[in-house]
Amino acid sequence: MSNETLEQWMKDLAENKLSDGTHLSIEMFDGENTVACIKVEDREEFPIYMTIDEGQILCISYLFGDDQVNPDKRAAMAEAMLIMNVSIPLSAFSKIGDQYIMFGALSPKASIDELLHEIELLSDNVLEAIEAVSDYLTEAA
Amino acid sequence: MSIFKKLFTAARGGATEVGEAIIDSQAIRILEQELRDSKKALNDAKTGLTSIMAEKMGVDRKVKELTAKITEHEAYAIQAMDKGDESLALDVANKIAEFEHELAIQQGILDGYQTKVSSLKKMIRQSERNIQAMDREVSVVKTTAKVQQANDLASAKFSGSNSSMRSATDSLERIKARQQKREDQASAAVDLESETSGDDLQARLKNAGIVDSESSGSSILDRLKKQKAQS
Repeated sequence: MSNETLEQWMKDLAENKLSDGTHLSIEMFDGENTVACIKVEDREEFPIYMTIDEGQILCISYLFGDDQVNPDKRAAMAEAMLIMNVSIPLSAFSKIGDQYIMFGALSPKASIDELLHEIELLSDNVLEAIEAVSDYLTEAA
Repeated sequence: MSIFKKLFTAARGGATEVGEAIIDSQAIRILEQELRDSKKALNDAKTGLTSIMAEKMGVDRKVKELTAKITEHEAYAIQAMDKGDESLALDVANKIAEFEHELAIQQGILDGYQTKVSSLKKMIRQSERNIQAMDREVSVVKTTAKVQQANDLASAKFSGSNSSMRSATDSLERIKARQQKREDQASAAVDLESETSGDDLQARLKNAGIVDSESSGSSILDRLKKQKAQS
């Protein structure tokens, strides 16, 4: 049931663009058809994974792994993220395993416009967030 | 343990086992088992509620019957008194006393049931809410597990030859550079556009004889001579 919903959303997304005309490329990511991968044009480095269940539509983007965080600044970064969380529109920080993520959730009853808005904001927020916490990350090797 | 805490444990599960499955699938299975148990307990509670309500209805009926009997016998006692049969009236009154005693007992039982029913109902509502919340959370944990697998696959594709491909700040820089390039291209295109349209305008002005078609040394000299003559 949930798979059909996800496929329908993917179809709707593929027929739309973001408000500034940016294209999205969407593909089903896994064999079980549970995770869709959305790539915003020119920002392919930070794909957005989308899943749907009865409770919510979840959009997740990976920021970086623990290995990229400066060990001395780890606690300070966590606190900075907690403080920032409220002021970031529609998205929030979290962590899955050893990966820092940013995510947004919507009602499964949301409209395609709301989903597009969500994706657009999440994509912007990811770039802003990495910029904001870059001081806490290790120098790129 | 609260649901949140359990989920937290499930989500961080194998975080220490580097490179291994990060979401502890064992913990998710335990949670799902607990969820099934809670659902079963909820069903049992609902069955319990049904039988208690049936018993309560039985007591309720008894209370009504007793109340009716008391009213009935009160009428009898009054009639006996009206007929001057004082001893019959006393017998009836004694009977009423028995009924009232029994009523007090049954009313007490009824009140007890009433309290039990409302607290059971409250409990059932509460566990229904808990189960719903748990259902949602377990599905989120499972979802993130799948997303994580997806991301692991993606980064495995990325890494291979160049590990710095995975650095977030590098990625950000690349995106910004691409954006800048795009903007430069766009503004260059705008400049080019205005230049060409400017050229075009000049050509049209020349054609119309508004601007000198040939600005030559002799034409400039002519113009200067005219200016001098006027002054």
